[in-house]
Amino acid sequence: MASEAVKVIVRCRPMNEREKALSCQAVVNMDSPRGQCFIQNPGATDEPPKQFTFDGAYYESHNTEQIYNEIAYLLVEGVTEGYNGTIFAYGQTGSGKSFTMQGIVDPPTQKGIIPRAFEHIFESVQCAENTKFLVRVSYLEIYNEDIRDLLGADTKQKLELKEHPEKGVYVKGLSFNTVHSVAQCERIMETGWRNRAVGYTLMNKDSSRSHSIFTINMEIYAVDERGQDHLRAAKLNLVDLAGSERQSKTGATGERLKEATKINLSLSALGNVISALVDGRCKHIPYRDSKLTRLLQDSLGGNTKTLMVACLSPADNNYDESLSTLRYANRAKNIKNKPRINEDPKDALLREYQEEIRKLKAILAEQMNTNNLSGLLPAETAQLEVKPALLPEPQPDVEAEKQLIREEYEAKLAQLKADYEAEQESRARLEEDINTMRTSYDLKLSTLEENLRKESGVAIGSCFAHTWYFHRMMP
Amino acid sequence: MAAPAGWASLCEKFRSSLSLSNVESKKDPENEPYRSKYGARELLEEIRQLLGSEEAAEAEGAPAGEAAALRAVRLAVVEYELGVNHTDTEELSAGEEHLLKCTRLLERHRLSRDCVSLYIQAQNNLGILWSERGEIKTAQTYLESAEALYNQYMKENGNPPLDPNEHFMAEEEKLTDQERSKRFEKAYTHTLYYLAQVYQHLEMIEKAAQYCHTTLKRQLEYSGYYPVEWALNAATLSQYYLTKQCFMESRHCLAAANVIFSQAGQVPSSEDNETEQDQQDLRQRKAEIARCWIKYCLTLLQSARKSLEDNIGELDPDRQSELKAQRKKEEDEKEKGRKKAVLFGTSDLCDSILATEEKVSCICPLDFQEAREVFLVGQNYVHEAKEFFQFDGYVTDHIEIVQDHSALFKVLAFFEEDYERRCKMHKRRIDMLEPMYVDLNPQYYLLISRQLQFELADTYYEMMDLKVAIGNRLEELDSHTRKKINSLAQLAVKYYELFLDSLRNPDKIFPEKLEDDVLRPAMVAKFHIARLYGKLITSDGKKQLENMQTSLEYYTFLVDYCEKHPEAVQAIETELELSKEMVGLLPTRMERLKAKLSPFS
Repeated sequence: MASEAVKVIVRCRPMNEREKALSCQAVVNMDSPRGQCFIQNPGATDEPPKQFTFDGAYYESHNTEQIYNEIAYLLVEGVTEGYNGTIFAYGQTGSGKSFTMQGIVDPPTQKGIIPRAFEHIFESVQCAENTKFLVRVSYLEIYNEDIRDLLGADTKQKLELKEHPEKGVYVKGLSFNTVHSVAQCERIMETGWRNRAVGYTLMNKDSSRSHSIFTINMEIYAVDERGQDHLRAAKLNLVDLAGSERQSKTGATGERLKEATKINLSLSALGNVISALVDGRCKHIPYRDSKLTRLLQDSLGGNTKTLMVACLSPADNNYDESLSTLRYANRAKNIKNKPRINEDPKDALLREYQEEIRKLKAILAEQMNTNNLSGLLPAETAQLEVKPALLPEPQPDVEAEKQLIREEYEAKLAQLKADYEAEQESRARLEEDINTMRTSYDLKLSTLEENLRKESGVAIGSCFAHTWYFHRMMP
Repeated sequence: MAAPAGWASLCEKFRSSLSLSNVESKKDPENEPYRSKYGARELLEEIRQLLGSEEAAEAEGAPAGEAAALRAVRLAVVEYELGVNHTDTEELSAGEEHLLKCTRLLERHRLSRDCVSLYIQAQNNLGILWSERGEIKTAQTYLESAEALYNQYMKENGNPPLDPNEHFMAEEEKLTDQERSKRFEKAYTHTLYYLAQVYQHLEMIEKAAQYCHTTLKRQLEYSGYYPVEWALNAATLSQYYLTKQCFMESRHCLAAANVIFSQAGQVPSSEDNETEQDQQDLRQRKAEIARCWIKYCLTLLQSARKSLEDNIGELDPDRQSELKAQRKKEEDEKEKGRKKAVLFGTSDLCDSILATEEKVSCICPLDFQEAREVFLVGQNYVHEAKEFFQFDGYVTDHIEIVQDHSALFKVLAFFEEDYERRCKMHKRRIDMLEPMYVDLNPQYYLLISRQLQFELADTYYEMMDLKVAIGNRLEELDSHTRKKINSLAQLAVKYYELFLDSLRNPDKIFPEKLEDDVLRPAMVAKFHIARLYGKLITSDGKKQLENMQTSLEYYTFLVDYCEKHPEAVQAIETELELSKEMVGLLPTRMERLKAKLSPFS
């Protein structure tokens, strides 16, 4: 089961004209109510289909409106209340990523998640009373570990990733545009898109290798009943992840995505190999994080709600890509941020417990034992019994002695109190002395009890022998 | 055999094909990514035609003399190039065919000076090809056989073999033996490097590490490395050795990383206008290596603690003297053998690396003095790393470094006998952690924030324990110590509570069911709070009763939670057992106290 913070859904688009013309077979199947997705290997039809389970599985009959209402709505609603949210879209080019995220105007049920999120946010801005909003957007892309501002004056300028204790991870120098309407939002996104496209032709880049992040930052000033103002900030990240497709002959630029199984020709991969050997939980691995991971570190686990939309084509000729998308999505379910609580086994603490529990048990045992003894022992030894105050039929001798001690204690206490009051001594000293006195009183009592127990004998030990196994706590 | 003029043009063709394949292809346009490769392929096919068919060569092969053998080798070179060409252009089957033809042609002479290098390279490429098909085992077979061939050749012959390209060079262009050897060794380095990757994919981690190490070693020996990259790789490898508790190897990697990295500083960058960005990168990498050193010192100390502690986590003096005696006997005889196997660099370089090693031990410290030395080295690297990874700008990295610093103090405290001084060390931890925690926005750093809360709570707890121990040695507990104990306990409770509060949902409700990753910490926090309430010292009986009641509630939480969620039991078995006992016993104690409070009324 996915952690609550990261939800993963898959969406499979219908067969397109090209796939139909090639008379492709559908290899993807969904059991939507169960959130299950099945994929059949067209090269091994005798094998059972591979099965994956997600927080949602949507097939061609579903529309974006449903997806939004069932899954995305709550996440965006959270943003308007001051919690961060992130939506990832993932899948090979042509798998319906843009269709899901940007969508189409007609029919309105297929309007994309992004315009819906815009509307959702501005609707809440308009509806809220006694609240002021500042909505700002930024748009950046990550290509080959370089960050560029898609809304900046110079889209070629590489930007630096920084962290601020109060503001979290941020991109230094990234431009923010204040927006007041859905239309404005859309226009800005459009501009960014265009800059991205221009970048490709200028720099000979390949779009499927770049990630882009469109961020809506909300600052919410609310005035409560008592007239006090509160400031909350939240952001919604809309992330378009690089395509998952294997590079085809026509699109290849030499670097391939399938590095996991590929041996690299240059020694440049040596660092990756060595890093992979280190279990990074408590050791340091230089440069282990990609910019994308760092930029979204508070989205991957932690108190951000994250939605991952994995898009698929149903056709058999996309089997490999679809399978790799599903695997990726499956891994995403278990995304956890690294920090964990390191707590040390506190052996000393446990030893103390052992000691204390032993003492407590002894006291308890002693009470029960005296009960037993009173019934078992002959009259002449019965006088040696200890009867704690709680027990009925106190033995006169012991009780008398106890009473004496008590009286002495009380008398001294009264005297001390009077003295101290008279002398206007500090309260601390008073307490201290009272405590000392009580301790000595307790000591007297327990010595008395101890003596009695020693005399009353072996029975205690054998009845209440208690073995307490002391475990060392495992980390 | 081709006429001399024809031969020259053949060589020229071959050269052009190489240049197309290796140089021009990088400039190919996006929509025709393999244009130059295809061009190179055409040239190679022509050369093959001119050399005559492979069958002919084979038929003649046996009886005929040198001429035929020469032609066979030349053909093999062309087949090899065609094989690589096809692999590069994603025609794996054709590529495989050519490469196999190449090895078939060379099979009988593979141990000769003329053939061995080419044969190894062909096998390397077959290895790459199969790994691209995802058949790592097959790749492994080819690469291991290349490795074996190298070893056999070096044992039986050892003369610098010809570079494959020399078969298409005029006599006067032929390479020097030095260059030949360099190229041959490079091919073999590649074999090892590919094997490292193969073993990693096959999850033969130890073997992979060994091959990574050898690859690094060979890069140094044959000067085929970028200092910064090499240093970083060596530093990373040191971390692998740490996970295996191989401190000698780990330190050697780190010392080598320092030495090689300093070369990068000395050699001015090839471009004169070294940008600020480059400088920044260089500083960052230096700090990264420093962080690997911190982990080294920390792991060494922690490993020492582990070997020295008794069953309640205190230093065991018997164990200490036992280990000290043992150490004298062993002296590093055993290590010397191991050392030889991993030593980086030759002569001068090796000397500088060994000199760098001198600065810190690789043997587990056994007393405070030794531990302190390791601690100080670690602390120096903490300062160095923090210089680059400052709080403002590198929040996460900075905190990780400070957490390591705190951990260094913590483990050093283990070796300190004096409780007061030990307490001061923990106070240092508080002083470095608390301000960071206060400045951190939990909205963005929730998980780190939690880590800090927990560590602060634990540290206050530790200090309280020490104060109690100090107090127990006194004849009577003075009010100052008592106050100190109470305030430390309360601070510990505060941070455990802050941690538990961070688990609440936006509506401030504690979750019904805890997530796996916080289950144990949350339970432990509850358990410790219960304990701390039991520790608070008060002379006010009512207050004491209240504290006991609170304590009981926290213990009860644990017991109830595990009843409701039985799957949680295994995460906190011991604490649960204790909690159950306390839940059984506390009410009796409270009864007694109640009775004591009002016995006389």
